Amino acid sequence: MKEFYLGVDVGSVSSNFVLIDSDKKVYKKLYLRTIGQPIKVMKEGMAKLKESCPEDTKILGVGATGSGRQLASIMVGADIVKNEITAHAVASLDYCPDVKTVLEIGGQDSKIIILRDGVVYDFAMNTVCAAGTGSFLDRQAGRLNIPIEEFGAYALRSTAPVRIAGRCAVFAESDMIHKQQTGQSLEDIINGLCQSLVRNYLNNLAKGKQIETPIIFQGGVAANVGIVKAFETELNAKIIVPENYDVMGAVGAAILAKEEVEKKGYTTFCGFDMINHDFRARSIECGGCPNICEVVEILDDDKVLARWGDRCGKWSNTIVDKEKTAVKEKLEKLTKEKILVG
Amino acid sequence: MKIGIPRALLYYQYYRVWKTFFTTLGAEVVLSDKTTKDILDNGVVATVNDACLPLKVFHGAVINLIGKVDYIFIPRLKSVAKGEYICPKFCGLPDMVRYSVKNLPPIIDTEVNIRKKPRQLYKAFLSAGLYITKDKNLIKLAYHKALFENALFIEKLEKGNALLDVLANKKSTNKKGELTVAVLGHKYNVYDQYVNMNLFENLTKNNVSVITAENISDKICNDYAAKLPKKVFWSFARKLIGAANHLAKENIVDGVIYIMSFGCGIDSFVADICERTLRKNKTPFFLMMIDEHSGQGGFNTRLEAFLDMIKWRRKDDLDISPYGERVYIGKDAI
Repeated sequence: MKEFYLGVDVGSVSSNFVLIDSDKKVYKKLYLRTIGQPIKVMKEGMAKLKESCPEDTKILGVGATGSGRQLASIMVGADIVKNEITAHAVASLDYCPDVKTVLEIGGQDSKIIILRDGVVYDFAMNTVCAAGTGSFLDRQAGRLNIPIEEFGAYALRSTAPVRIAGRCAVFAESDMIHKQQTGQSLEDIINGLCQSLVRNYLNNLAKGKQIETPIIFQGGVAANVGIVKAFETELNAKIIVPENYDVMGAVGAAILAKEEVEKKGYTTFCGFDMINHDFRARSIECGGCPNICEVVEILDDDKVLARWGDRCGKWSNTIVDKEKTAVKEKLEKLTKEKILVG
Repeated sequence: MKIGIPRALLYYQYYRVWKTFFTTLGAEVVLSDKTTKDILDNGVVATVNDACLPLKVFHGAVINLIGKVDYIFIPRLKSVAKGEYICPKFCGLPDMVRYSVKNLPPIIDTEVNIRKKPRQLYKAFLSAGLYITKDKNLIKLAYHKALFENALFIEKLEKGNALLDVLANKKSTNKKGELTVAVLGHKYNVYDQYVNMNLFENLTKNNVSVITAENISDKICNDYAAKLPKKVFWSFARKLIGAANHLAKENIVDGVIYIMSFGCGIDSFVADICERTLRKNKTPFFLMMIDEHSGQGGFNTRLEAFLDMIKWRRKDDLDISPYGERVYIGKDAI
């Protein structure tokens, strides 16, 4: 029988699923586009996982992360729900135990994590601006009519990079158009864009932080060799891109799930059956006070699984109580079984 | 006579003073409602575009008072300590409101400027008091009462009571948590539960106890601020920088969260100085930038990661791994 831990990372652009075995080796990874439909992509991902695994596969624990982690955790019954920063740090520590810096650029956010002696020492996430993240590169690739997969290769062929303003996505775009009109080669413009994004990242996120080697670069954008090269020149250091760079968040979630389950001794995973359930999200506008919160309700057929989005807790708390009793019941059942067995 | 006080900006600092003063004179003090989405939305519409978030909240709070009061109290604050300034937006506040908000009741816009002569303070109170009574003796009494009340207020804070509890006359709800975090920033950002996205509640829920700059005595803060190579001439900045230095020296907190509203000129210096001071001492530091479009989701992610980091780092202090293995695997880590 195969036994795995599942990690789910529902992000703004991609949703990733990873199965790791008890040695934390990645057995299976899935990279899907979220396209704004997290519920659908969750079901699709789980269905694909089920298909690709042998019949007697057993999931020992599940971890969820990413901006859609709450939703994901409700749908699969996650044992642990963690923020992206911790998940990414855990995964990169597992890949390279003495890593000192993690650069992560995803679909809509970018982060830098500084680690010392195997501990997160400092971190930063982009605040108000998404310039230099995957979505922007995606858009520019689309505009230049180049598949995003080849974007980096173009940059490497450049001979004389042009300088592009990387401070703001809007300015970068108009700058690029201007450079195109003056007849600069596509390769040079793309290389200039890669360099400006790296500059922007280092100036904004890494401001005042000491970037020491080993440096790991992960997240979807790490696939772009042009960006990797630009980082290497700018930092004058070797950049390590792990094999599973695009699903590191999910790997971290799976590792965290493994630890959590080993600690508590059971899993809350609700099985692959969930792919047959009809999950729906419904939003309610609460009129209880002038805050007019938009409360989101997640339904499994007609059963309310979760509610969130309210400031006061009027809606979300009713569910939390139910959750607590459910866990308690499960625990009691487990202990009873154990007593019976013993 | 009803005097309206907007629950915004320096309400969090001077409410006790103003309330004591006006009630002693026989007026009734009416507070605007706590900040809500409605209040902020009204404020955003009314305020000039480039203003900062706290000003927008203030305008919303003023609009909230329209129709409920005879006067709205909006003092023109130029300087609240000898030789020091405060943010220039406070100097123009009554004018800003007057030109941006329609159908306003009359404004009591007494000018407070004690940069050169601290004695000017009484004059400010006198001119405000004359709106209500002609009895100058009563005004003097009310003035002294107000100052006394302020001293009591500060004393309570320095004893470690949470500001919001003291303002609401509640018993202190401060519990000792597993971690202690200091929350720094301008009071109107730190204490407005809507603006700070329920930060305090969130921290308490995570078993974290909170202290703020107000819980550190003025004397300590001033002593530290005086050691800087140059005089800090912003009144509130002095307190914050002093507090950051104190926290860095004494190691009494596990981490510091600084709340800054987007585009704040003073904070662009102060937050940075605080960050450098604390980082030098290896105190975990986290700058939270707020604006009217701030999303709860992104904020929660950062806060969660910050608390994880503190716990992780703290554990590492006690449990240093001798052979480079990860040390976070433990029964109570993350």
